[in-house]
Amino acid sequence: MTQAIQTAPLGHYRVKHVARAEVAKMLTLRSTAITLGFTVAVGLLVTGLVTNAALHHGPDYYLGFDPTQAALTGLIVAALSGGVFGALLITGEYSSGTVRTTLAATPRRPVLLAAKIGVTTAAMVVFCELLSFVSFFLGEAVLSGGGAPSAALGSPGALRAVLMSGLFIALLALMSFGFGLIFRSTAAAIAAFVGVVFVLPLVMHGISEPDVRYLPTQILTNSVMATVHVGPGGIIRPLSPVVGLLLMVVYAAVVVAAGAALFLKRDA
Amino acid sequence: MITAHSLTKRYGATTAVDNLTFEVPPGVVTGFLGPNGSGKSTTMRMIMGLDAPDSGSALIDGRPYRDLPWPVREVGGLLDAKAFHPARTARNHLRWLALTNDIPLSRVDEVLDQVGLTTVANRRAGKFSLGMSQRLGIAATLLGDPGVLLFDEPVNGLDPEGIRWVRNFLRALAAEGRTVFVSSHLISEMSLTADRLVVIGRGRLIAETSVADFVSRSGRGAVKLVTPDRAEFIVALSAAGAKVVDDDGGSLSVEGMPASGIGDLAAREGLRVHELTPISASLEDAFMELTADEVEYRPSTMAAAAAPAEKE
Repeated sequence: MTQAIQTAPLGHYRVKHVARAEVAKMLTLRSTAITLGFTVAVGLLVTGLVTNAALHHGPDYYLGFDPTQAALTGLIVAALSGGVFGALLITGEYSSGTVRTTLAATPRRPVLLAAKIGVTTAAMVVFCELLSFVSFFLGEAVLSGGGAPSAALGSPGALRAVLMSGLFIALLALMSFGFGLIFRSTAAAIAAFVGVVFVLPLVMHGISEPDVRYLPTQILTNSVMATVHVGPGGIIRPLSPVVGLLLMVVYAAVVVAAGAALFLKRDA
Repeated sequence: MITAHSLTKRYGATTAVDNLTFEVPPGVVTGFLGPNGSGKSTTMRMIMGLDAPDSGSALIDGRPYRDLPWPVREVGGLLDAKAFHPARTARNHLRWLALTNDIPLSRVDEVLDQVGLTTVANRRAGKFSLGMSQRLGIAATLLGDPGVLLFDEPVNGLDPEGIRWVRNFLRALAAEGRTVFVSSHLISEMSLTADRLVVIGRGRLIAETSVADFVSRSGRGAVKLVTPDRAEFIVALSAAGAKVVDDDGGSLSVEGMPASGIGDLAAREGLRVHELTPISASLEDAFMELTADEVEYRPSTMAAAAAPAEKE
């Protein structure tokens, strides 16, 4: 039999080992810095532009104006780049062939999957929450600086909106990671993500307007980000923030579960 | 020790690996020989737990790959020279790999040094030549100092110096008591590197034997003779009972008489000899003979039922 060339530690590799490796992978790719850097820059730019455009209007304009929602608008950019980031975490491995090295190093796929999902979720939650707070403070600074109605974290619903928005974007990224698991190709995964998140609402408007409220972007902008519900309301009645967020949890879980089922049984 | 038992893998109607049983013992280099598309890569992927066999098993020291507690410390596999992210540096690639199996990060610089990549350790691996990529792949296999090593076509794309380096390297690993399993479609390379051979064709085992055995099994020795006195030699050799074939290009191929006999005959007859070279049957000849019926993709036969492309 093969002689022991060296002594291995007791036990076996665990989720924590794989998770450390996944963090190292994430931090050593330039695409991580580029994607997240782009998200911060463009997201905050959008927040700045939107809040700036809300300045210097007549009193009618501010009827039903939601300063929290306005200050969080930049997170829509994060919804897109978070989706790209989430998909790339797994499709980048497939396109480069790294996945075979990964699976050879840690062949127990549930362990690998747990580590990947954990690291992806943690990274996205931290990043998106930070971005959400920065975007909020930037937006409110612009609004209050320009003399428009503004909100503070203590305003009704504001903290809830900021926290939930960050979480929501992280869930979108996780869903995109699930598409990556399913399709294994960057182009296909991002197409699926953009299709569901950005194209489906347009289609749904034509099919069944009231049901648009169940779609991720609608939940994000009108349920999660919003703190003010004023006026007659259109055909689309937004879901409550909690229901909307839970629905997004279900969406992400379904896509990730489908991807995980395929990942566990497919050849590498 | 690697043991494959009745290993079978089907892709639709094609059987890529067909009831393959063989052993790869420690301490020697075992060559895995077969024409392109014969199932070598598929077999190696199943040994490494990347593909699941439809039936049969592949075991590492008696255990399925997926049950290994520290895979990188037990098995080093180079199945694909480019199995790393092109944007990551060589050092960073090895660092995450070390983290997966709790391997001290000091090993990273050690193996980089071992394969001669120290000076380019901080360069993005995507910029590497194929030869450098192979070296990085080899460094990855050594990271956990494993007792079992698999290499799929490790000399592909290497220059002669690189080929020789890999050859000596594989032999050194085996000499340390490790199990070394190397696939190749380059027969001449295998004849220099391997001690044992597992030969397959169309996914089936053709031979499992030592290199010397494999060659002698099909061998008929011949002697190449270059001489300006061709006609005289043909008469004299035929009279002495040897079989002479007049090769194009001015040399004779003599069978049934050793080189010494031909030299003696030349002295007796006063014939001139410019070159006298014994040609032992090559591994290549033996291989061609044994796999003649097993080649999947052959020019001019136009295999109608093309099998799914397999990466070799």
